[in-house]
Amino acid sequence: MSPSSTMYRGKSGQWAFVLHRITGFLVFFFLLLHIVDVSLITRPELYDEVHAVYGNVLLRLFEVGLLAALLFHSLNGLRIVLVDFFPEALKSERSVFAAVMFITTALTVVGGYIIMKPFFEGRF
Amino acid sequence: MAVDTEPSRTRPAGPHTDRRPRQNFETWSWFFMRVSGLVLIFLALLHFSITHILNDVAETDARFVAQRWDNPMWRVFDWALLALAMLHGLNGLRWIIDDYVRVPGKRAAVKAVLYTVTGALFAYGTFTIVSYSPA
Repeated sequence: MSPSSTMYRGKSGQWAFVLHRITGFLVFFFLLLHIVDVSLITRPELYDEVHAVYGNVLLRLFEVGLLAALLFHSLNGLRIVLVDFFPEALKSERSVFAAVMFITTALTVVGGYIIMKPFFEGRF
Repeated sequence: MAVDTEPSRTRPAGPHTDRRPRQNFETWSWFFMRVSGLVLIFLALLHFSITHILNDVAETDARFVAQRWDNPMWRVFDWALLALAMLHGLNGLRWIIDDYVRVPGKRAAVKAVLYTVTGALFAYGTFTIVSYSPA
């Protein structure tokens, strides 16, 4: 028997679960890093030097990723709260998951454009 | 009377305990994740909007922080975000460790590292926000 035939293949709920874990894990580790970089504020010159890195194009792409993770985790968290507290309010679990993915993508595209704009204009 | 049908060893006496199951730590941990999550949606997305959407990230330099933290309300906001996000993330990682680290000794060790690092960085972040005074 191949491993794939015994592998659990869930529906949208399984993907929501996996993505919720991954995005939560990533945001938490960014938070740990963020505590350290903000602590440099006691030495403003050093803070500005380190902070300038965040304007770099690679770090801007990272910030777009952070926004996507935050948006997915927020909206899917809202979906979980609905499922747990108001189960009768949800007619179709799948369409709610589709809405979470759609809003996450749409807001990431808009926010991502604003974050990347200085790069498109050739400033970074 | 309830006393006749419900033996006291399974249902402790009391005005509110006769119909509800007992609330243990994991029940509160589940509830905390939902409540803190709802608050964090507001705090985290507002914080991200201010630092990356309404202002460009390149503009949020030391002077920007000095102006912002001149208002104690923003320090309260930032500290609330720090505290809730750390607790929410800590509890989430605790669940992840319980799911994937199955050997008891290893699990205890990984949790010890998580609690130590999270506790230390939470104290460090709190110190940064509270002790800051512009030069």
